Amino acid sequence: MSFLSIDQTDLHCSMELCFAGAACDLRTNSSELARVLEDLSISTADTVPSVFRMRVVVDESSDEGAGEPHFRGLHHVVTASFGMSNVFVFDILRRTVSASVSAAIARDGPFWKEKLIPITLGVLGAAMGLVPVHCACLELDGDGLLIAGVSGAGKSTLSVALSENGFKYVSDDWTYISRRRDGIVAHGTSAPVKLMPDAVEHFRSLLGHSLQRSMNGELAYEIDIAEAFGARVERSCEPRWLVFPERTQEAGAVFTPISSTEARSYVNSSIERLPPQLYEAVAMREQAIERVAMLPTWRFRYGGSPQFAAKELREFVVHRRQEIYV
Amino acid sequence: MTEEPCWHPDLLRRFVPTPYVFSKCDGPNRLFVESNDLEIALSVRQAAIVYRNRPGSLLCTLIRDMAGPVDCSEITIVSDGTLRVLYLGRGTILILDHERSELLGFIARNVEVQELVSSLIPALLDA
Repeated sequence: MSFLSIDQTDLHCSMELCFAGAACDLRTNSSELARVLEDLSISTADTVPSVFRMRVVVDESSDEGAGEPHFRGLHHVVTASFGMSNVFVFDILRRTVSASVSAAIARDGPFWKEKLIPITLGVLGAAMGLVPVHCACLELDGDGLLIAGVSGAGKSTLSVALSENGFKYVSDDWTYISRRRDGIVAHGTSAPVKLMPDAVEHFRSLLGHSLQRSMNGELAYEIDIAEAFGARVERSCEPRWLVFPERTQEAGAVFTPISSTEARSYVNSSIERLPPQLYEAVAMREQAIERVAMLPTWRFRYGGSPQFAAKELREFVVHRRQEIYV
Repeated sequence: MTEEPCWHPDLLRRFVPTPYVFSKCDGPNRLFVESNDLEIALSVRQAAIVYRNRPGSLLCTLIRDMAGPVDCSEITIVSDGTLRVLYLGRGTILILDHERSELLGFIARNVEVQELVSSLIPALLDA
């Protein structure tokens, strides 16, 4: 039997970080891990007014990489393990993540960037008024566009095409929404864009990249959009519109307004249910969801390439912005 | 899309029904047990598990997890202030919250109830 007391371990590296607008109080015994996380930290003007704590003990004698992920949760506690040497315990009520990881994981930047930070925000976000919404987010001249839809709806290909068409990229799969006094703010985590193998038909430059097995088992291109496509990246923005893209066989593009009820239902379907013990988090989350549901929302049916859809969306957004200013 | 909320699947298995609910009082100690497994619920109640360092109530929510991994028998205990977590392999996870006097857990299908009651839970409570 092995016993590790995190609170009795000398966690001499301490720093204040920021992920998707959420402040993180990090303590660890590994300066290498502190450097990795510092590189991923993104400060924005719109910080959520609460902090979560991260306590990580690195076992320098272990070099086990990330194993098969296993998640479980009961009441206010969620656990995640990636092999025997890498365990994480999330306490939602106390906004704390405590972890014991191997030296290999401590220096594995992509693991923290692509897996652990998004997971942490997804689990603890509810207690901080940060709602993970299954949508992409792009920004044009200060105005945010949320692109929602289930996996396969074309969010990622549209995100890349829009970022080649004048939009700044915030996120492509999960966007973290927080309330602020007069509206909402959307935050990205700089996680890579995930494109399915058939995206290579529209983006030939993907031929220079290799397919990887993602956390849900799918084969996909997971790439840094700034490096691969020269996209301009924005860390947060204020969403103005919510769009549900739908690919059709017929050529052309049609926008149809849809109700806030449908928008609310979609957001609810993409988030984890919370147990009754977390009633305060539920209430906070519902307020943010309500703000998202109140955004002008459109169904966007299009037939054609992502580039065609991006051009149509850009024209639509420019037109809507003119209406707002008039 | 429908008008009624269509919830995300319960990937964490947070909402597994726990129809077997028992309680036991012994002086200042009160034990509440809820589980999806009758044998676990009865055995924990019968063993009269108590949180020895602090008499009072203890709420146990224990899920027999048939979907979790069945792997090695190495025990690891990780403690951080109010939470203490015992892992037996990756599939059996027991969590003790001192402040809330709650014992939560998932028990892999290969773990005998006898081992849970006589070995794993005491190891967590007494660590």
